[in-house]
Amino acid sequence: MTRTAEPAQRQTALSLIGLSRHFGTFKALDSISLEIEEGEFFTIVGPSGSGKTTMLRILAGLDQPTQGSLLLRGTDITRMPANQRPTAMVFQSLALFDHRSVGENVEFALKMRGMPKPERREQAFELLDLVHLGRDYYNRAVTQCSGGERQRVALARALASDPEILFFDEPLSALDYRLRKTLEVELRELQRRTGRTFVYITHSLEEAMVMSDRIGIMREGKLVQIGTPAEIYGQPKDRFVARFMGEVNIFEVSDHRLVDFEASVSTVKDGFLIVRPEMLHPADAEDPGLHFEATIAEVFRLGSRVQLHLETVAGLLVSEQPASCQLKPNDAVRFGFDPDQTHSVPE
Amino acid sequence: MTQQKLGLLFMAPVAAFLLIGFVSPILIVGWYSLMEPRSFDLNTVFTIANYRSAFSDGYGPPFFWSLSFAAVTTLTCLVLAWPTAKLLHRFAGRGAAVITALIAVPIFISESVRLFGMSLFLMPGGGILAGSVRALFDLSIGSVLNTKLAVYLGLVYVHFPFVLFPALLGVALIPQDRIDAARDLGASRWQVLREVELPLALPGLVIGALLTFVLCIGANAEAAILGGQTVTVLTRAVEQRFSYAQDWPMGAALTMLVIAMTAVFVFPALSRLDLNRLIRR
Repeated sequence: MTRTAEPAQRQTALSLIGLSRHFGTFKALDSISLEIEEGEFFTIVGPSGSGKTTMLRILAGLDQPTQGSLLLRGTDITRMPANQRPTAMVFQSLALFDHRSVGENVEFALKMRGMPKPERREQAFELLDLVHLGRDYYNRAVTQCSGGERQRVALARALASDPEILFFDEPLSALDYRLRKTLEVELRELQRRTGRTFVYITHSLEEAMVMSDRIGIMREGKLVQIGTPAEIYGQPKDRFVARFMGEVNIFEVSDHRLVDFEASVSTVKDGFLIVRPEMLHPADAEDPGLHFEATIAEVFRLGSRVQLHLETVAGLLVSEQPASCQLKPNDAVRFGFDPDQTHSVPE
Repeated sequence: MTQQKLGLLFMAPVAAFLLIGFVSPILIVGWYSLMEPRSFDLNTVFTIANYRSAFSDGYGPPFFWSLSFAAVTTLTCLVLAWPTAKLLHRFAGRGAAVITALIAVPIFISESVRLFGMSLFLMPGGGILAGSVRALFDLSIGSVLNTKLAVYLGLVYVHFPFVLFPALLGVALIPQDRIDAARDLGASRWQVLREVELPLALPGLVIGALLTFVLCIGANAEAAILGGQTVTVLTRAVEQRFSYAQDWPMGAALTMLVIAMTAVFVFPALSRLDLNRLIRR
């Protein structure tokens, strides 16, 4: 699971060694091994129930693993209680203290350390500026803040403890699209600027792609694939990852034969071809690769591009073309792709 | 407008009941407290003589003991109820119901019966506790029966459920993620309790404390059954004025003082409570 091909340029911040968490017979986490590097934005993506949150809670010390160990810069912290770990978490629910003001929320970690009030307040002011709220918010009640503001308060509160690693448990999932986009960019910027290690959980592929240095895909308590966003999008390890990372057409290959098209493939013997919608395009007779008849079933305009649903011998396929594409439903067109240029997976 | 009228209409029965059953007796008692000592009429001369003697004629000890018992009992019940409520909440659905029932069932038994039971238990010589200890270990132990300690134990025993159940409600108001967040931000268990749990559970704790405190100020049976003659509590003093001493105006004045004293504790506490928050959750 760890990257051995590349020389270790950066220090390892967090090492997970065979971490498992069982609830009775249910394996929420099944022997996870992973190294997260210093200053990295690492995102864990997976469907609900895949064990993402359980993993993050164990990393933060809010839950204990059934097996395995956790190292922070080489020091075993598996049994270290949450309040002694130099990490901080932004919760999915945000978990703000509604009975305290914005300022008191931000200062919480400092107060726990016994920092005197004037000093705390000075730091809270700085943090409120850092998350683009401003010090006017200091005395405001948390309950009067909007969703985006609460989000920023939670972030400032987590940053206040000056953590070596920040954990995020789907903090943006409750926000509207535009605000989410803005905060995604801000988070990424903040991470770059502070050089801190961020471990982020989401079920949104888009969020993961935009922000992460590396992504880990989780499924049923296991890490299925780890890699950069480009790697995971372009070279998914199996059909699950391919489907999870967006729209995709999957064709079965058996003994060099493309089953659906009765055509041959030289590069793959057995397995599945992963054809992204943008790789499926209207074809001229001279184009290399495989051609087939298609009838346009549906046309969806997605702003900058057009998504086409095609009826073919291989069933319903998805293609994406530039917005200039003029095809209409019921048009009969030849479509094609080059099987030799296509990524394939064994299962 | 019609909605407002409809509201008034629905309110009318309760309002009439409170007026007849609650406000008018207080007014009558208040009126009596301003009559001449030992009179049975409502039309003698207005005087504050009763109130003056309430502060000068040895009514201090009953006030003192009732207030002290109420304060100490409330505090004890709070300290006992907090861990109990936390445990019951954590094990909700896993046997917690049985324990809750065991604590709740005695409420349905008359308080006097329970206190006499406790008196049998504490009795010296052949009492259940002393007798058993003698039979089993051949030891003779004394008894706390007919002491202030027995009164205190009785008060705690009777009033514990009145704190526990509101406290349980309070504990249910604490979301687990707030505790997690506090821990994550470096709070020790003690700091979590002080900074997060207690403030969030406060509504429940305040209600429980108020109930107990007010009930304890009016409590009489514990002192009568378990305390022997060692202590005269407020209610006993008031009752004696009305019955044995046949001094209704004096009893009325003491009653008004008790009501005023209770109000001093209850209203500030209630005004800080957001009852809506309790109900909506």
